[in-house]
Amino acid sequence: MPSNTIVERVAADLSKYPPFDKLAPEVLGELASAVSVSYHEEGELLFKKDDPLKGAAFMVMKGAVKLYDRIDGEEVLVDLYDEGDVFGVRAIFGGHGYLLYAQVAEESLIYDIPVGKIKELIAADAGVSMFFAGEFAKSVQEIERTLSSAFSLRRQGAPGPSCSSFLEHETLEVKPVVNVVTCPEDISVREAAVIMAECNIGSILVVSPEGHPRGIITDTDLRKKVVAVSGPVNERPVRDIMSSPVYTITGGKTVADMVMLMVKTKLRHFCITLDGTIDTPVRGIISEHDIITSEGNNPAVIMKEIMAAEGVEQFKAERDKAENLLGTYMSQNVAVHFMTSIITEINDAIITRAIRTTIAALQAEGRPLPSVPFSWLSLGSEGRKEQLLRTDQDNALLYADPEESERESVREFFLELARRVTGMLEGAGFVRCPAEVMASNPKWCLPLTEWKSCFRRWIETPEPKAVMHSTIFFDFRPVYGDGALAGELKRDVFESIARGRGFLEFFAKNALQNPPPLGFFRNFMVEKSRDHANEFDIKSRAMMPLADAARVLSYQLRIPEYFSTVERFRRIGELEPALSGLCLEAAAAYEFLMKLRALNGLEHSSSGRYIKPESLNKLDRQMLRNVFTTIGEIQQTLNLRFQLDYIRD
Amino acid sequence: MLLLQAALWRCRSGKLPGTVCRYLQSMKDRPKGNTPLESVRMVVFDTETTGFDLKTDGVISIGAVAINGLSINVADSFEVLVRQDRVGRSEAVAVHGLLKKDIAGGAGEVEAAEAFLEYIGSSILVAQHASFDVAMLNRILSETFRIRLFNGVVDTASLAKRLEKGPYYNLAHKAGEYRLDHLCQRYGIRLYDRHTAAGDAFLTAQLLQRLLSKGRSAGITTAGRLLMQ
Repeated sequence: MPSNTIVERVAADLSKYPPFDKLAPEVLGELASAVSVSYHEEGELLFKKDDPLKGAAFMVMKGAVKLYDRIDGEEVLVDLYDEGDVFGVRAIFGGHGYLLYAQVAEESLIYDIPVGKIKELIAADAGVSMFFAGEFAKSVQEIERTLSSAFSLRRQGAPGPSCSSFLEHETLEVKPVVNVVTCPEDISVREAAVIMAECNIGSILVVSPEGHPRGIITDTDLRKKVVAVSGPVNERPVRDIMSSPVYTITGGKTVADMVMLMVKTKLRHFCITLDGTIDTPVRGIISEHDIITSEGNNPAVIMKEIMAAEGVEQFKAERDKAENLLGTYMSQNVAVHFMTSIITEINDAIITRAIRTTIAALQAEGRPLPSVPFSWLSLGSEGRKEQLLRTDQDNALLYADPEESERESVREFFLELARRVTGMLEGAGFVRCPAEVMASNPKWCLPLTEWKSCFRRWIETPEPKAVMHSTIFFDFRPVYGDGALAGELKRDVFESIARGRGFLEFFAKNALQNPPPLGFFRNFMVEKSRDHANEFDIKSRAMMPLADAARVLSYQLRIPEYFSTVERFRRIGELEPALSGLCLEAAAAYEFLMKLRALNGLEHSSSGRYIKPESLNKLDRQMLRNVFTTIGEIQQTLNLRFQLDYIRD
Repeated sequence: MLLLQAALWRCRSGKLPGTVCRYLQSMKDRPKGNTPLESVRMVVFDTETTGFDLKTDGVISIGAVAINGLSINVADSFEVLVRQDRVGRSEAVAVHGLLKKDIAGGAGEVEAAEAFLEYIGSSILVAQHASFDVAMLNRILSETFRIRLFNGVVDTASLAKRLEKGPYYNLAHKAGEYRLDHLCQRYGIRLYDRHTAAGDAFLTAQLLQRLLSKGRSAGITTAGRLLMQ
């Protein structure tokens, strides 16, 4: 009789991760008592390609194991497994030997789970059987994908067929992709996968020599059919796995037509031919993706509704619609900059509409707009055009200096305007800023001269509060009104910074307040505050360090545009070739973080700021780990550039 | 080896129980000095006792797990609670958290020792501060059967010290550094189930794996080298 204490311990470890998390205690106990625990040092090879299959599958309990292949003598990383991941599942399904090399990437504690036990479980438990079938499919698919991208990297530089952009789909007619990527029926599955990877497309049309559609291969086909067929499928001709026949239509279909067709046929790809039959050449292709991104609740429609909106309720309704749209985009993997620019347009439209409505209302009450020009400023993330989900309002109001005699009446008018507008925004779902950084606060509703002296004060005396304000206010962007006023203010800030030595150093020092988490991902620091214990604050620990660094550098380089963090990094990279590689990485990192945060927020109906590390999938975890490295490098750059090690707090 | 010879002689005249005799006979299969560690069965164990006095305190539980081919075999593990009259008066109860009623359902001391002998056979025994656990078991064995443990014994604290500081370092100076908690922390082993015999045995087994892995580069690859014979 094995020791209960030890069996229970191992069972508790196993039950933390799928598929063992759903097992009944007795079943789990029996499985646990069959486990062997092995310890491996970094660099150890657990199995090699073509090695005979072992009698166990492996679960990483601690550490990390990488699986790789060798292509032309070079190592191509296929996957990295860390705590809770199961690998070596090929042993369960049989075959001649392993397809990859497994090497310990970080000293590891591994639970060896005998194949016989897993087979018993697969036979008895549907959940476990689904899991391992999926794991197996995934591993094959990941091998395919990684290898084909490795191939395509090798061939970089060769001109590929162009891939279409979203912005073409504004009209009601769904524009097909006309630059269709095709292949003949007899090329191998591997070759087809390479073409798909090169063009970054999810499907490829298989055509006859005359260009008639014969079939289609999609990501799903690769996933399902390559796995299901035994033997080396990669080298089989594509005709063996393609879906055939293809659903063909004629051109000129509207969004409504396509949605109906999609519902009716349950298909996701439609091929346009000359006469709508499969016996004429291909003219184009429409995928589910094209249909959804050009659907009726498209951003243009939402904007139109906002600009005609009569009241707050409608703002909220339209903004809610935009959030739904965001959800759709997310699921379709639409590029982040596309989403942020749409959401920014929509937010700006709401602000604009709110200001216009208010001006009209004040006019009707006998309070006409003063003759001095004014500008509504968005601050913080809204100023940087980076809002995806609604967060608190950060705004301010700037107006040209009035005549001395009108000073008070003008101030009074703009304050009232700001109070009403911020109230409307609140009604539309933009929460009031808890620190009252809003145009309705008399401190932040000022004429140009006062703004200038306010900013100068911060720059000349960079005490902590001034630096904190700078991080919010220096991201100002004129949303409504006279843009020249904001331009004038920005020029003055640049000059003050040039005069006031030392400010940028403090600004940079502030940007280094939050170092990225060090070391291995599983151990990254989670927040200690009570409400969010065991959660990671993605905003302050990952996004702010990047946004802060970009702000410091763009003020140092006097970049006049009202840029987002991503745009700032791109421009910095152009201006400073030595930083271009790092800046591109930082831009990509920031886009990834924005998306991760928005996804998390949509899922939990929150701002998305706090993330539970264990809820992330492996890919996201790997990405995040790379992001931390990039943040570290950016901070090091700032440190060197401003010689911050010499500054004392 | 006189003691072993004498005991085997008593076996032949039927004066010792079968379990004990099988244990004694298995000694001829003890790992040879040149047996690679991959082919050696090691039993990592721990005992919980009512206190630290070899004369007046007794064993209240034994937990153990085997390492075969350098892997910890959960199936090849062992756990026994010992009925012990002395329990309840001793402060040790607070440490291991076993209550009198738990112990009441346990095996007798001799019965437990016999089961342990059967489980270990000729394997190399491993324990944290092994001399104490071995002495506790030897007291039972000598009182009842006039034998002791004949297995090769490895102390993980000494092994760690030997690997970190060399074989002649005086452990007494910084004994605290080689407590199980500290060693686990140092070698990145998550602490759980502390102060149950089986829990500590499992932790010690994980510690041994790391030490053996470290030892490999220092040339500790055979049973003989490990036992410094």
